[in-house]
Amino acid sequence: MVRSGVSSIALAIRKNDLKKIIDHCNAGYPDEACGILAGKDGRVERVYCMRNARPGPASYEMDPEEQFRAMKDIRQAGLELLGTFHSHPGGHACPSGIDVERAYWPGTLFPNYPGAVYVIVSLIDRRDPVVKGYLIDSGTVSEVGLKVLDQDLP
Amino acid sequence: MAIKVRIPTPLQKLTNGKAEVACAAGTVAELVDALEKDYPGMKERLTEGGKVRRFINIYVNEEDIRFLSREETALKDGDAISIVPAIAGGR
Repeated sequence: MVRSGVSSIALAIRKNDLKKIIDHCNAGYPDEACGILAGKDGRVERVYCMRNARPGPASYEMDPEEQFRAMKDIRQAGLELLGTFHSHPGGHACPSGIDVERAYWPGTLFPNYPGAVYVIVSLIDRRDPVVKGYLIDSGTVSEVGLKVLDQDLP
Repeated sequence: MAIKVRIPTPLQKLTNGKAEVACAAGTVAELVDALEKDYPGMKERLTEGGKVRRFINIYVNEEDIRFLSREETALKDGDAISIVPAIAGGR
């Protein structure tokens, strides 16, 4: 499910959280679905499944008020926004040109959420979704490793 | 009392690293001008043709200004403003 040829691990996700991400993406099919990953030290502790306010098979925009509430919740819990996720219902698990463009403040190469991992779920094969993570920063896109943790591990 | 403005990371280069600044303004449009005066470059980052840029969300006390009066939304002392980049994409 999680496939990566990258050795450095940027994000560790519990198995049940990964399932929550994939379930939300499948529920949104054939439109894109999206959400926020929060935690500490590269370890995801909370998955926020968000409403896609601009749904389409190749389009997402988090509902602004839900996004605001999630970000406030993350701050109040003492956690950090570690990443976001969205699906590509009919596309591969890599960022599109628009995904990259929207990762930056409009008209600049300043990342909106520095250090955030963009997790993309490809649903080309819905029985076997492909999940990959990327950093989008300073004009480059680089794949980073995702590690799936068994739920019971500390 | 003044208006508190939460500045997102990509704009903190303009505020010398400050995550929160204070200013005085009667509307969101005036707030943009007040920020520009204190932190030159802010207006161009926040607006285009006098309108808040697409994919930039501004909240007054947790309410999206698009559901209030947009750039004409009235502000008062003690209000808390957040500037938050949208999380969006597509193919």
